Amino acid sequence: MYETLTFEDGGDVATIVLRRERINVRQIRELEKVCDHLEDTSAAKVVVIRGRSLGIDFADFDPKEALDIHGFNKWEKLVSRIERLPQVTLFAVDGACVGGGFQLLLACDLRVCTPDTAFSLPEVKLGFLPGMATFRLAKYVGLGHAKRLMLTGAALGAEDALRLGVVDSVGADLDATVASSLAALGPMSAVAGTLARRLLNESFHTEPEDAIGHFLAAQHRAISQAVFLDTLKKERG
Amino acid sequence: MLDSRPRILSVGTANPPERYRQEDLLERYRVEDPRLRSLFTSSHIRTRHLYLAPAGADGAPHESQGELLKKHRNGAMEIGPQAVTKCLEPLGLTVKDIDYLCCITTTGFLAPGLTALLMKEMGFREDCSRADIVGMGCNAGLNGLNPVASWAMANPGKNALMVSIEICSAAYVFDYTMRTAIVNSLFGDGAAAVLVRASERDEAAFAPKILGFNSHIIPSAVGAMRFDWDDDAGKFSFFLDRDIPYVVGANAERPLGRLLAAHGLKRRNISHWLVHSGGKKVVDAIKYNIGISEWDVRHTHSVLRDYGNLSSGSFLFSYERLLHEGRVKRGDYGVMMTMGPGSTIETALIRW
Repeated sequence: MYETLTFEDGGDVATIVLRRERINVRQIRELEKVCDHLEDTSAAKVVVIRGRSLGIDFADFDPKEALDIHGFNKWEKLVSRIERLPQVTLFAVDGACVGGGFQLLLACDLRVCTPDTAFSLPEVKLGFLPGMATFRLAKYVGLGHAKRLMLTGAALGAEDALRLGVVDSVGADLDATVASSLAALGPMSAVAGTLARRLLNESFHTEPEDAIGHFLAAQHRAISQAVFLDTLKKERG
Repeated sequence: MLDSRPRILSVGTANPPERYRQEDLLERYRVEDPRLRSLFTSSHIRTRHLYLAPAGADGAPHESQGELLKKHRNGAMEIGPQAVTKCLEPLGLTVKDIDYLCCITTTGFLAPGLTALLMKEMGFREDCSRADIVGMGCNAGLNGLNPVASWAMANPGKNALMVSIEICSAAYVFDYTMRTAIVNSLFGDGAAAVLVRASERDEAAFAPKILGFNSHIIPSAVGAMRFDWDDDAGKFSFFLDRDIPYVVGANAERPLGRLLAAHGLKRRNISHWLVHSGGKKVVDAIKYNIGISEWDVRHTHSVLRDYGNLSSGSFLFSYERLLHEGRVKRGDYGVMMTMGPGSTIETALIRW
């Protein structure tokens, strides 16, 4: 039923493999459908996204129609949905991570790649903007590197991506790298995990006087969950 | 197929003429205790419309329960009719067209109640049916909208008007304690009216249908928010437990889950959230428990900032701001959520 990707969901880990290297309308729709499933019915705790991505496929859009802003809005809604999935997300890139693919990677919690992977955001050179990566990239690499990468469109190799924090690990055997990342993650409270991720994502743009209130609200939710109550029981003996 | 579900056809709001910054109150009533001052200045409220008594020789306002009740009545008869007129004018209706009137308040007990007073004041028809919902607190706007919608559905084509009128400055005890400062720094005065009607003739109107309600009560927190008699002050006094924002937040998923499940919807299907401007803490707790964003509660925050907590009418002020924003599209779903004494959470599902 999917044309641009394959999706498997059985146990704790659901896996999306991107079968199309250039993002088109169909792939966005199919990823939305996968998100529906992950939000509504999946029992998975982790979602692994695998593949290579060369960015948006403008050739796939109707050439008679001017590209309007609403398509970009759809794309951004999808990216932020993936950023907020109830599962922990891991993007495993093999070979190329360009434009839209790079944008999507930045929305994921954990990011790994193979040694020959090159990352780039060529959008500005082509006369448009690399989506909301304009807001996400600097949080990972700092403002200086973000400006250089976006304005030059230069490729970032795997080792540099690791050094700058774009990816967490690099390995020739991608399966093994994914497996060790998942092992390092270990068991966790889904509620505490997604709340921590939300606060981190909001951390750069929350006013200090608002931050404490947000934290207390999130912490109250976390400590009301069974996972924490069990921890407390064990700690207290 | 005849769709008999009622629509909210119009909204109108009004506030007392005098508007105060939080600092104005501290100065007016000579509040010097830094702990009390910080409650006023750090509460995410900038201004409120209030009916304020002059300061006495000791700095505090001195109002008996009788004077506060008079303030409730006089204030209600000033801003209530303004909200009604603003609600009816855009529809070309007058009070003579109203078949059912429901008034909601918690800030004073009167018999005859606000419906009778409003009908005399504004000249409603003598055969207009009415109901007064008194003493249910901040959540009461939805406790009122539920029977108003049912009445409208049972009486197709007839006009039902719901008016929330809260003169919170008539619930003031000013004694320089933390308990009363929490209340006195939070609540504001305001009135909001909505016209509800179930009619096929409104099919083309850009007005949301009311699809359903879901309630949730937390009996273990029955005493956490209360407006009861204070023997020492000789007045009614409002009490807010410090944990209640979190308790409300932790329970919010339950009525919301039931409301959405009953209509086969998911949270992502909801485009507009109209959450009661109860206070910064409770709005944060709702946000992080049901997973909605700061953007989703933008009107909740801006109404709190500009008016304070207007009790039962707050969410209708947010609703009015949402409409003015011009962002709503046909087919969009909205959730209304109010919370208050009981402790309770009330929800409603609407669709444009």
